[in-house]
Amino acid sequence: MKPSCYDNVGKAVKRKCETTIAQKRDISLMDTGANTYLIRPNYKDKFKAGVAKECIGEILREQLYGVQYDPEEVPTLSRSLADSIKHKLKDMAFDRYKFIVQVVIGEQRGEGVKMAARCFWDADTDNYAQEIYMNDSLFCVAAAFAVYYY
Amino acid sequence: MEEYHSGDEVSFNPDDASNVVKECIEGIIGGVDYSQNKVNQWTASIVEHSLTQLVKQGKPFKYIVNCAVMQKSGAGLHTANSCYWDTTTDGSCTVRWENRTMYCVVSVFAVAIAL
Repeated sequence: MKPSCYDNVGKAVKRKCETTIAQKRDISLMDTGANTYLIRPNYKDKFKAGVAKECIGEILREQLYGVQYDPEEVPTLSRSLADSIKHKLKDMAFDRYKFIVQVVIGEQRGEGVKMAARCFWDADTDNYAQEIYMNDSLFCVAAAFAVYYY
Repeated sequence: MEEYHSGDEVSFNPDDASNVVKECIEGIIGGVDYSQNKVNQWTASIVEHSLTQLVKQGKPFKYIVNCAVMQKSGAGLHTANSCYWDTTTDGSCTVRWENRTMYCVVSVFAVAIAL
């Protein structure tokens, strides 16, 4: 809660911290030894693009299998996809990451589509995962960006 | 107009960002028709120019710019986003643009760098 929580490492300090973030941070501090502030995530907490990509693919297949394009339904569908991907990523315990999930769903009518993204960020800590799902009636692109907060 | 920003002024201005993005889109695909061969280059230029303009403002943000261009054929296109971040400092804006032959949707996400 208070900045003083971060000043020392040790059990007494750990007991004082009440917010979950402060607790998590304390645990990571103990892993790294005497450092007070973490600038880089520990490897085990780092965002892993491959794992995230697989989990996005799973959600897309689950929710879009056999679904036909319906302009009435797709706004809620795309929103729920974005939300479930975000929740799944939150559950995957990538510590101290913010997530941005973008979902695009379009109707398959033989039209051309191109999607591109550029990021201005810390390439050491931040990363993204992207997955595409297509069936006869629609296509869906889901991209998740993970941004580390120091 | 403002050339510098004091420490406490770190909020993202979505209107500002959408103007920047709109100008970029207009400048790059304002007067052209959809072309399969060029669309790669267009989307790349749109995201890169928008990003450069945003970064030039010198605010303490990490940026993510995402752009989708779709040829008009009567087909529908929907975008949605969902973010897990600090709503007091971070922000996003989405610009929807179209001409006779294509749609263009650009989303900008700004994540504050806490120092």
